[in-house]
Amino acid sequence: MGAILGIALCLVVIVFVIFIIGLVMYNSLIRKKNEVNNAFASIDTLLKKRYDLIPNLVASVQQYMKHEQGTLTQITEMRAKAMSGNLTPDQRIELETKLTKTLGGIMVAVENYPDLKANTNFLQLQAALNEVEEQISAARRAYNAAVTDLNNAIEMFPSNMMASMMKLQKRTLFEISEEERKNVNVKNLFNQ
Amino acid sequence: MKTINDLWAYYNTTLLPDLRVMENERKNIANKVLILNIVGGIVMFFCLILFFVIYFFVLILVIPAIIGWIVLYQKFTKSYVSQFKTKVIFRVIKFIDENLEYNPASCIGSDTYYASKLFQHGVDRYNGDDLVYGFIEKTRIMFSELHTEYKTQHTDSKGHTHTQYHTIFRGIFFVADFNKNFSGQTIVLPDTAQKMFGGWLGNILQSWNFTRDQLIKLEDPEFERLFVVYGTDQIEARYILSTSLMRRIVEFKKKTRKDIRLSFISNHVFVAISNNKNMFEPRLFKTLLDFNVIREYYEDLIEAVSVVEELNLNTRIWSKQ
Repeated sequence: MGAILGIALCLVVIVFVIFIIGLVMYNSLIRKKNEVNNAFASIDTLLKKRYDLIPNLVASVQQYMKHEQGTLTQITEMRAKAMSGNLTPDQRIELETKLTKTLGGIMVAVENYPDLKANTNFLQLQAALNEVEEQISAARRAYNAAVTDLNNAIEMFPSNMMASMMKLQKRTLFEISEEERKNVNVKNLFNQ
Repeated sequence: MKTINDLWAYYNTTLLPDLRVMENERKNIANKVLILNIVGGIVMFFCLILFFVIYFFVLILVIPAIIGWIVLYQKFTKSYVSQFKTKVIFRVIKFIDENLEYNPASCIGSDTYYASKLFQHGVDRYNGDDLVYGFIEKTRIMFSELHTEYKTQHTDSKGHTHTQYHTIFRGIFFVADFNKNFSGQTIVLPDTAQKMFGGWLGNILQSWNFTRDQLIKLEDPEFERLFVVYGTDQIEARYILSTSLMRRIVEFKKKTRKDIRLSFISNHVFVAISNNKNMFEPRLFKTLLDFNVIREYYEDLIEAVSVVEELNLNTRIWSKQ
């Protein structure tokens, strides 16, 4: 009788411990998933901040930059397309990357227009744009860190068992393209 | 950036004439102090012998002797030390940058020290001197030597209370305007947990540090090995610690080979560079007429001033001008 009671008690304790471990794992996976979503949302906020800057920027450089009219129209179009909202996340990422690249190109072209470089209004916009670009890059890195955390939990034992029960999917990292790496150097041009 | 050759030229043209005068004074004082120390040593020796003969009575002799020793030492050296600071250290600072000012007696205030959040231990003894402040191009900087300690007390079996002081921080404490605007706080500390327990376990332990904000895991592996970062905002921390700034911090750490901590709070950057020597003080028993002596003072100073360049604080391409 006593032995059965002992075994039963042991089982209860084991089940309880497993339950607690499961609970902790479950909560930590949920937290990680939400962190990823949260980080993605903040990239979105910053991209919107960039959309707000673009019309002003285009307006202030348009009258100076005679040779880049085509590029400027392209930027305006891309902005409109990105803001329209009917894009898949992958298309959106692709478009935003292209937008970053084109904006970077315009900023390099500014070097050919001394009048523009003397315009304080433009300089302020340029600084604001640099800031947003840097914040976007920070948000991407934060997103990548959150995704790495989640993906590790999804793949590593023992949390992978819980994750497969919860049907959690691995997320993809934001690739930082070769052009963007170069953009960092491009920014250095303005130090002079 | 000025080179050692520039310093050599400056040393020969500007510093040397005064150094020669001061060198004579130094020799004089060094002799006086030497005699003082010999006399003091002899007195102490006799006190030790007398201790066995007349026991406690000897204290009446020892205490005034020690006080006298200290008073005389300070009297001999005081004017020399202040002269040294205005004629040598001040000029080396002006050589580094004309816009820097120097106040030998003052130091970084304790409110700034606490605001940096670099050290969490309560301070019982706060000392510092050699405050340097001013602008390096667009960046306002301020640094000084600082020594903070906390005390422990224990009572032994006889009921005597013993007080002991332990160093929290000793070295150069540096504050500057940061070139980006931000609202939260980001703190970069030396990584002890990962060094001791390895990456995985160390990381878990770090994320359990309840006295600090969220753990921020960054992607530069070398930076992560050397430092641990806590912050209030994951994105802001990465906005501040851009990939290039992380590289710069790693390079700075490798160059100085010292324990460094950084924090970014209310648009300022705070840097604590540990160092165990008492910097910017004259050495009585060493000649002044040696370029290497001056060079050492210069290098100690430039290590602090160079933070501006090392961390790229004069780059103002963001909205903060």
